[in-house]
Amino acid sequence: MSVRESDLKQAPACTVTSLGNYLWSDPPDESKWADCVHCGMCLESCPTYEQTGQEQHSPRGRVHLIKSVAEGKLEVNEAFADPVFACLDCRACTTACPADVDVGGLIEEARGQIRQAMPLTGWKGAVSKFFLEGVFPHANRLHLLGSLLKFYQKSGLQKVARKTRLIHIMPEHLVEMEAILPEVKQPVRKKYKHADVIKAKGETKRTVALLTGCVMDVMFSDINEATINVLTRNGNDVVIPQNQTCCGALHVHAGDRETGRKLAKQNIEAFKEAEKVIVNAAGCGCMLKEYPELFREDHEWREKAEQFAAKVEDISKYLHDTGYEKPKAEIKTRITYHDACHLAHGQGIREEPRDILLSIPGVEMVHMPNADRCCGSAGIYNITHSEMAGAVLKSKMEHVPEDVEMISMGNPGCMLQMALGVLKYGRNQKIVHTVQLLDWAYQKEDRLKEGKSWR
Amino acid sequence: MAVKDVKTKDQHIENLAKIVGGAQSILYKKEDLLAYDCDGFTIHRHLPKAVVFPKSAEEVAQIVKYCNEHDLPFLARGAGTGLSGGAIPLNGEVIISLTKMKRLLSVDLENRRAVVEPGFINLKLTHSISNKGYYYAPDPSSQYCCTIGGNVAENAGGAHCLKYGVTTNHILGMEVVLPNGEMIEINTNGVLDPPGYDLLGLLTGSEGTLGIVTKITVRILKNPEAKQTVLAYFDKVSDASQAVSDIISAGIVPAALEMMDKTAIEGVEAAAFPVGHPKDIEALLLIEVDGISAGIDEQIHEILEVCRRRNVREVKVAQDEKERERWWANRKTGFGAMGAISPDYLVQDGVIPRSKLPEVLERIKQISEKYGLRIANIFHAGDGNLHPLVLFDARKPGETEKALAAGSECLQVCADVGGSITGEHGVGIEKREEMRFIFTDEEIIAQTNIRDVFNPKNLLNAGKLFPTPGRCVEVKRNEKEKMK
Repeated sequence: MSVRESDLKQAPACTVTSLGNYLWSDPPDESKWADCVHCGMCLESCPTYEQTGQEQHSPRGRVHLIKSVAEGKLEVNEAFADPVFACLDCRACTTACPADVDVGGLIEEARGQIRQAMPLTGWKGAVSKFFLEGVFPHANRLHLLGSLLKFYQKSGLQKVARKTRLIHIMPEHLVEMEAILPEVKQPVRKKYKHADVIKAKGETKRTVALLTGCVMDVMFSDINEATINVLTRNGNDVVIPQNQTCCGALHVHAGDRETGRKLAKQNIEAFKEAEKVIVNAAGCGCMLKEYPELFREDHEWREKAEQFAAKVEDISKYLHDTGYEKPKAEIKTRITYHDACHLAHGQGIREEPRDILLSIPGVEMVHMPNADRCCGSAGIYNITHSEMAGAVLKSKMEHVPEDVEMISMGNPGCMLQMALGVLKYGRNQKIVHTVQLLDWAYQKEDRLKEGKSWR
Repeated sequence: MAVKDVKTKDQHIENLAKIVGGAQSILYKKEDLLAYDCDGFTIHRHLPKAVVFPKSAEEVAQIVKYCNEHDLPFLARGAGTGLSGGAIPLNGEVIISLTKMKRLLSVDLENRRAVVEPGFINLKLTHSISNKGYYYAPDPSSQYCCTIGGNVAENAGGAHCLKYGVTTNHILGMEVVLPNGEMIEINTNGVLDPPGYDLLGLLTGSEGTLGIVTKITVRILKNPEAKQTVLAYFDKVSDASQAVSDIISAGIVPAALEMMDKTAIEGVEAAAFPVGHPKDIEALLLIEVDGISAGIDEQIHEILEVCRRRNVREVKVAQDEKERERWWANRKTGFGAMGAISPDYLVQDGVIPRSKLPEVLERIKQISEKYGLRIANIFHAGDGNLHPLVLFDARKPGETEKALAAGSECLQVCADVGGSITGEHGVGIEKREEMRFIFTDEEIIAQTNIRDVFNPKNLLNAGKLFPTPGRCVEVKRNEKEKMK
């Protein structure tokens, strides 16, 4: 062909006749990509595009690929799976998009197709199956794992492993993770197993149900504890439905939408009586709110999921909207705030946690540039894509102000990842959840009132 | 990241991979290439042969040299946000992506200039120097993500170019890799108005057909002392257009003077950054004045007066920076926002004398009715740069062709009233044929002759900017050359 010629006669773009090479039910939703006009406004918001500069690793590139499979131009194969699974699912592109294209939703639907077309095999498949199906959905097994971890930490085994360097039989990024695992305490679901309701301190104004989360309750049960304290202090009776389960976010991110639906149904049933479902993990909250997406092809459950989703609220927004007692004790500290992706981009919650933190006397907030940039945790992304997660974390840590004592946020995954960042880059910030800081202020106030010393 | 080897039978791919340092920096599988089959102009789609990601000017030069020696067509690409198809590989090009060359090399505040690599993002320059009180003036709506290299190629404009000029007015020097792989420097020390031919002016806006820019010296400006923004709602387009003319005739040079019509307002209000514009107005104006504090209030007062004289329904001044930013986000994401009311759009980029605005808008309306396609208008009213957005659905057979024809007719109208077919988006693929509305065959040849001096084999970004030689003249010329 002469280079001076161009073929104007090419078939027009995006001639969709069927859903092309998506062969399973629940395929990526055509109406989601119909709004994408390929303008590119999403590019700079995307951490993987920032790192690679390659458009198949950008939101509009991924949308283009997902659409191309539906148009029959591409097949569901390894080369397609790579960019789709390299997405952090951070949703920053959804915030940046002028047309509100739900890239995150498309990615999850595409992953669902990929995992059905090419199930994970070998040890990767086994490990994934073990955790996603065998552990997370089962509170008792998760607690057992927690107990083992606790044993590992308390028995001196941890010391031995670290000292003998036996620990280095694990890949480097897992060794790093091991180093920042928080001390395991008693899960609140165990603690309040026999309590029908945890009564408000003083007059009851409202009753709320708490999602304890799976990993949250094992790794960060103190945050659950703080959440309960803060809720009861502000006139809320707290119910912990015992048949609740893992929210399913990790499964849906991994493309296992079937298990996601199973867990969603269990949670919808478990919280049937609740008027409000309070969540303190941004990732879980976002997932619960998106349950209707899982039931696009099931009218009955879709309706139930929609009703359920309307009840879900992040703890910071709930406190902000219903009002909370402003703490009187002073916590003198300089902090910065990191926007968890699934709080800022996923749920549009940005100002509420900041307001709560600023309501604590003595707290000085230092602005973190690019505060709503992903930290690289992204569920289990930091385990499955450790190299990219590491690069994203590095760029995140460059923005953490030098002179702060704490970094506050609203998601356990971020807390682990940011703790890793602090350790890895020789920083010394304490990582806290927003409600923890509020709880400490309340506790300090009480102790001062009782005439006891603080700490 | 580990360097992986490239596994392919294509010798060229392997050789190019060697230049850029392995598999990390080259794409050649169909699945990866698909993301590069178009840019912000989506009507034409073609797969490139490969995409390479050089990290330095030297690597760019080596790639170009290789392509030139082996007669491989090639082109440069930044963020791929161009709206006329300048970065689309019509001929299966090797795409040289400059996204890895994204450093800010130096800032010289005293002499008010900065040196950037071509992949550096437009808005990042302003962000990098704003704490020192400076900024980079050209502000295309895509400035959140477009590259300065791409801005140079397209001579990008933007809302604030009314007062401050387009990209070419802010380029002081550049380093360029010519299509044979030779590297040259043009005025890299950034002195003003160098003697000799204005090569910077020639290169800027050449749409990637004369060379690949690898380093750019740009002018930076001191932040204006004060800034005020006005939003005015009109019940009649003619009143809004008249207000635009009146403001300029009053001797005010606003930093920006933007207009949106009813359909455009419907789009931005349905999208991610709504402001709450009334739905039943026919047009809105977004007007910004800046400069030294003294006199700004008088200018605003005068603008408000003009709007009132022209029967404005409501007019307000932004109360704080937050409100101003909200108004601008709504305007600047306007094109992408059309996705919320239409699956596809085609944006045109005509320029007309300001006085013809009401007439042209009326004729665009007729075109819209003729083709049965909605046309939204978002434009830089101050300098008469129209952006009619033809809304269509490519899935409906024949609609893409209709949209193209409607867009072309809009440009014909602009040319008819003494205007031009492009103000800032470039010609690219999109407006090649429409070049004939404003240039004779001889004038086009004069220009392709210049191109041939730089790009004699036409391997670099072929098929862009000028009409295909379907019509007699260039063919005749080629025949003449053969006969020699």
